[in-house]
Amino acid sequence: MNSLFNLVKKELRELMTLESVISILVVMILFVGLGFMISDQTEQAMEPVRMGVINYDGESSTYYDTVDSTLDGMYDPATRDQYLIKLYPSSILTDDEIISLMKENGLPNLLVVDQNFSENIDGGTQGKISAYYISENSGAFGGIDSDSVQGFVTVINGAVSTKLMENELSVSPEESAFLKSPVSFSMPDNYTYINGKLYSDITPSAISGAMMTQTLMVPIIIMIVIMVVGSIVISSMGTEKENKTLETLLTLPVKRTTIVSGKILASGIMGLIYGAAYMVGMYVYMSAMTSGAGGVNLADYGLVLEPVDWIITMLMMFVSILCALGLCMILGAFVKNYKSAQTMTLPISVIAMIPMFIFMFVGWNSLPAVMQAVMFIIPFSHPMMVMQNLMFGDYVLVFGGLIYCVAFAAVTVLVTVKLYNSDILLVGFGQTRLGRILAKYKKAD
Amino acid sequence: MDALRVENVHKLYGNIEAVKGINFSVKEGEIFGLIGPNGAGKTTALRMISTLITITSGKITVCGYDVATQGDEVRKSISYLPEDAGAYKDLSGRTYLRFIAGFFTDSDETDKMTQRGIDIANLGDRIDSKVNTYSKGMMRRLLIARAIMTSPRFAIMDEVTSGLDVMNAHDIRELIREIAGSGVTVLLSSHNMYEVESLCDRVAMINKGEIIMQGTPAELKAKYNANNLEEVFIRGVKSVEQSV
Repeated sequence: MNSLFNLVKKELRELMTLESVISILVVMILFVGLGFMISDQTEQAMEPVRMGVINYDGESSTYYDTVDSTLDGMYDPATRDQYLIKLYPSSILTDDEIISLMKENGLPNLLVVDQNFSENIDGGTQGKISAYYISENSGAFGGIDSDSVQGFVTVINGAVSTKLMENELSVSPEESAFLKSPVSFSMPDNYTYINGKLYSDITPSAISGAMMTQTLMVPIIIMIVIMVVGSIVISSMGTEKENKTLETLLTLPVKRTTIVSGKILASGIMGLIYGAAYMVGMYVYMSAMTSGAGGVNLADYGLVLEPVDWIITMLMMFVSILCALGLCMILGAFVKNYKSAQTMTLPISVIAMIPMFIFMFVGWNSLPAVMQAVMFIIPFSHPMMVMQNLMFGDYVLVFGGLIYCVAFAAVTVLVTVKLYNSDILLVGFGQTRLGRILAKYKKAD
Repeated sequence: MDALRVENVHKLYGNIEAVKGINFSVKEGEIFGLIGPNGAGKTTALRMISTLITITSGKITVCGYDVATQGDEVRKSISYLPEDAGAYKDLSGRTYLRFIAGFFTDSDETDKMTQRGIDIANLGDRIDSKVNTYSKGMMRRLLIARAIMTSPRFAIMDEVTSGLDVMNAHDIRELIREIAGSGVTVLLSSHNMYEVESLCDRVAMINKGEIIMQGTPAELKAKYNANNLEEVFIRGVKSVEQSV
C-alpha cells in the first residue's frame, strides 16, 4: 500500500503541473464564458419583439381597428411604445424606402398592411400584409424575432376572421371561435405514460427535446475526459521510456501490479479532476441554455436524478475512465517515446467518438439490435447514456453496463500486468517472435 | 558464497539468439567486469540478471534467489543502474531520492535513507533544483546515489561513467571502490578498459552472445601476452573472428 501511495504521489506530482492546472482553468473559463454569452443572448431573445407597423388601410376602414387593437394587445401597455413603433408615412413607400425607414428607426422588423386590406376582405378576396426584416448575423437566436412576427400575423388573421364572421354571418365572437375550432384538443389533452405513471400536458416529443437539451453535452464531456486521461497515461509511458526511468522503476522492489495500478489510479484521479472541472463549466453553460421560460421541467414528470443516481453516474464515469486507462496502458507498452505516444491516443479517441456522435442524436431504444450490441461492447457508451437510463428506470442496462465496465477494466489491468512482466515493454514488439514474423511478412510484401 | 550465478543462459529474440549459453559467477564483495563489443549481449545479460527481461533457458540466481521464480526477492537485493538512465525531470533531486527510498523503507527510515542519498550525490544546494536543470555529471551522481543509498547486496552498473568528464568519472570510480569495500558486490559493464582494469577483481568478455574469456585482469593479460586490458579485448575479438 505504501508503494502504491508512493507511486500515485509521484505520478500526481508529475501530472499536476502549472501547465495542466492552467489548461483545466482555461477550459472551465471557456465554458463559463460561453454560458454567460448564451445567457445574455437568451435574455435578449426573451425581450418583446421590436417591430414597426405601417398601416396603409384607412382609419375608417372595416378592419383597421381590429388589426391595430390586436397588435396593441400583444404588447405590455407599460412598454408598448418602446417596442411597437407605429409609422405614418405620407405616401406609399417603395421597398428601398421602407428599408431606409427601418434603418433610420432602428427597426429589425416591420409589418405593412396593404392600402386595400379592408376593401379586399369586404369584397371577398384576401387582404394583404407584408413583413420586412433586416437580417443580422446573430447566431442561433437570430430567427426568433421573425418567428414572432409570423405569429403576430397568424393572430391578426384570427382576429380579422372573427370580425368577418361577426359582420357577414352575424355570429358572436364565441360562436366564431367554435366555428373556427370545433374540435377540442389542447395541450392538457395529451397524455403520456412515463415510468409507470400517466401525465397530462406533455408529449414524448417535448420530453425528448428537453432531455436532449440537458444531456446533449454529456457524451462530449465523457469523450474529452477519456481523450485527456488517455493522453496522460500514454504520454507518461512514453516519457518513462524516453527519460530511461522505466528500467529503474521495474527493478525496484515493487510488484508490477502496483506499478500499473499506481499509474492508472493517478491518471484516474486527474481524469476525475478534469471531469469535475468540465462538469462545473458545463453546468453553467447548460443552465444558460435552458434558462428560457416555457421549457419543460423534467422533474415535474419524475425524470430526475436522485442522490443515489448521481453516485451511480459518477461510479460509471470512474469505471469507464479506468477502462480507457487500461486500454491506454496496453497501448502505452508499445510506445517508444513521448512523440510516438501522441499518435497512440488516436484509437482510443475514435472508439470514444463513435458512441459520442450516436448518443448525441439517438437514444438507446431507437438503435437497431446490432448497434445496441456494438454500443454495449464499447465501455465508453455506458457513462454517456447512464443519466437517461437512470431517469427512465432502465436499471438492467445501467447495472449490466456497470458490471461489464468493471470486468473490462479488470481484464485490461491483467493484460497490462502481463505485458509489464514480458519483454515487450523494454525490447519492443518488433523483437518478439510475432513481431519478427510480421516484419518478415511486411518485407516480403 | 556466490552473489551471482549464471548457468547456461540463453536468450532468444524471435529467431535470433542474443545470448548463447553463457556461464559465469560473481563472488560476494567482488567487482566483476562484463566487457564486449557493441551488440555482444552485455545489456541483454544485465537485463536478465536484473529481472527486466525473461530468460529463454538456463538459470540465474542472485544472492541465492532465482530470477525466474523469485523476481520480487531479487529486486529487494539488487540495484540496477542502466546505461543513460534518467530521473523524473519534474522532480527535484531530493524528491526523486525520497521517492526511491519510499520503496525500500517505512516512513521513519525514509528520511535517513534520503539523507544518505543526498550525502552521496554531494550536489549541494542543487539537490533541491529540478532534475531537468542538471548537467550530465550531476545527473549521474544523483543516479549513483539512488543506486547506492539503499545499501543493496548486489549493484549492477551499465556504462557507469559513459559521457562524463575526467573529474566526474574519477569521483564515481572512487565511489564504486568505496561501496565494494563496504561489502557490496558490483557487476560492471563498460567500454572503458582502463576503468575495468583499475576497478574489477575479475572480468568476463562476451562476444556474439558467448563468453569467450574470463579471469582476473592479470590472468587475461598474461594469457594474451598483452600490456593492458584493451589489448586483451582487441586480441580476444580478433581470435573469435579468425575462428569464424
